[in-house]
Amino acid sequence: MPNNSWKIARRSNAQLPLVIVLALAVVLVLLGKAQSGLFDRARMRITDWMAPTLESVHAPVQAFNRWISSADELFVVYQENLQLKDENARLKQWRNVAVVMQDRVRHYQDMLHAVPDPDINSVLARVIGRASRPFLQTMILDAGESRAVKPGEAVVDSRGMIGRIYLSGDHTSWVILLTDLNSRIPVTIASADGKTATLQAIMTGDNTAMPLLDTLQQVVTLHAGDQVVSSGDGGLLPPGLAIGTVVGDGDTARVALLADPASSEDVEVLGFRKPAEILPATTPSQLPAVAAGLPPAAAPASVPIPAPATAAPGAATPATPLPTAPKPAAPPLGANLSAQAARPAAGGAQ
Amino acid sequence: MAAQDRAKLMTGAKLLAALLPVTCGLLGVILSNLPVTLFGGLVPPPLLGFIPVYFWCLVRPDLMTPAAAFGIGILQDVMSGGPPGIWTLSFVVAYAVIQRQRDAFAGLAGGAAVLGFATATAIVCATAYFTTTAYFWHLAPLGPIVAELAITVLFYIPGAFVIGSLHRRLVGPLRSDF
Repeated sequence: MPNNSWKIARRSNAQLPLVIVLALAVVLVLLGKAQSGLFDRARMRITDWMAPTLESVHAPVQAFNRWISSADELFVVYQENLQLKDENARLKQWRNVAVVMQDRVRHYQDMLHAVPDPDINSVLARVIGRASRPFLQTMILDAGESRAVKPGEAVVDSRGMIGRIYLSGDHTSWVILLTDLNSRIPVTIASADGKTATLQAIMTGDNTAMPLLDTLQQVVTLHAGDQVVSSGDGGLLPPGLAIGTVVGDGDTARVALLADPASSEDVEVLGFRKPAEILPATTPSQLPAVAAGLPPAAAPASVPIPAPATAAPGAATPATPLPTAPKPAAPPLGANLSAQAARPAAGGAQ
Repeated sequence: MAAQDRAKLMTGAKLLAALLPVTCGLLGVILSNLPVTLFGGLVPPPLLGFIPVYFWCLVRPDLMTPAAAFGIGILQDVMSGGPPGIWTLSFVVAYAVIQRQRDAFAGLAGGAAVLGFATATAIVCATAYFTTTAYFWHLAPLGPIVAELAITVLFYIPGAFVIGSLHRRLVGPLRSDF
C-alpha cells in the first residue's frame, strides 16, 4: 500500500512538468517558424567557436574517406583511364569550339554595345565540415563575414554549382546544398541539340542525389542530356552557372548534378550583386507632356498643384495628360526611354 | 572537521552523479552532430543524445527529467542545423510515451530491449518527420529518416553497454541512498 501511494504521488508530480515541457516544445517549434534568427545566431556562434577543432578533425577523416574511395577505385582504374583519355580528347575539341564562340560573342557584344556582364567577386574557401541529416544536407566553410561572405551567395566548385550560403558567422558559413529539402533555384534548361528554345524552371531539392525540375509551363518536352544552368531570376544568383543535365525519371524530370559536394574540398563563394540600372538622363523635351505639344510643367515648388475640380483648362499636371487635349496622346514614358536607349546603339552599329 | 570534508566530498560526488545522465546526453548530441561524415555522407549520424534519455528515463527518471530531455533536444536542434524545435518536441514526446509505458519498457531484456529502444526511436523519428512535414508543408522523403532510425538502433547496443557501465560504477553507487 505504501508502495502504491508513493508511485501514484510520484507520477502525479512528474506529470505537471512534462505537460509544461511539452507545451514549451510546441511553442519552440512555432517560435522557430516565426523567428528562426535566434537559432541561427546560436548556431553560428557554436560553429565559429568550433572552427579550429573542425579543421583539425576534418583532415584525418578526409584522409580516411579518400582511402576508402581509393580502395574501390583500384578495381576500375584501367577502364577509367581509357575513358578519361577518350573524354579528354573530345573535350580538347570542344574547348577550341568554345574559344572561337567566345570571341564571336564578344565581337557581337561590342557591335551591339551590349550591357556587359556584371563583375563577380569570389572568395576561395575550404570545406571544414559536412553533414547529411534526415532534413538537412549541408557543409561548413572556413570563410565568413570577415571575408565578405553573405547569405544567399552561390557556392561553386570546379565542376559546377554546389549550393548557397544560408548562414554566415564571423569566420565560418553554412551552405545549403542543391539537394537539400529546402533548396529552390530558378534555372534555365537549354536543349542539348540547340534546336528548341530554352525553358525556365525551378529546381527543387528533396534530399535525394538528383533534385527535381518543376517547369513553369504546363506542357513541356524535356530531353535527357539537356543542360541546366542558373537563370539569374530574382537577381540573387549570377545567370549561367553550370548546374547539371536533365535525367528522365518516369513522369518527372530530375537533374544529375555536375558537382559532387561529398568530394569537394575547395570551393568558391560568388559575391554577385546585380548593378542598379542607371536610366539615361531625360531632357525636358523628352517628357510626355512636351512631346504631346503641351506647355512644359514649371518647377513643382513654385507651382501649387491645382485640385482636379478647379483645374484651369490647359494646365498641365506632371503625370497625366489632359483628356480634353486635341493632340494625339503622348507615348508612355517607358517607350520613350526605350527609343532613347536604342538610338545610340543603332548609331554605334552603323 | 574530517566528517565535514567527507560530507562535502559526498555532496560533490552526488552532484556529479546527478549531472552525469544529462552530461552524457549533451555529449552524445555533440558527438553525433560533429559535421564530419564517414562513408561520404551515405550513412546519417545516429541520435546518440537520445540513448541516455531513453536509458535513464527507464532506470532513474529522477535523474533524467522532462526538462533534461528538453535541454538535450534543444542542443540537438541548434547543432543539427535543421528547423528549430523539431528534435526538442520529438524527444519530449518520446519521453512522455516512455514515462507512461515505463513498466512495459523496463521489463524488456536482451533482443526485446533493443526492440523497445527501436520503438522509442521510431516515435522520435515519426514525430520529427511529421513535424517537419507540417513545418515545410510538403512531404519529406522517408528514406533518410528510416536510415536514421536504423543507425540509431544499431548504435544503441554499444551505447547501452557504455551507459550501463557508467550507471553501475558511478551513478548507482553514488546515488544509492536516494
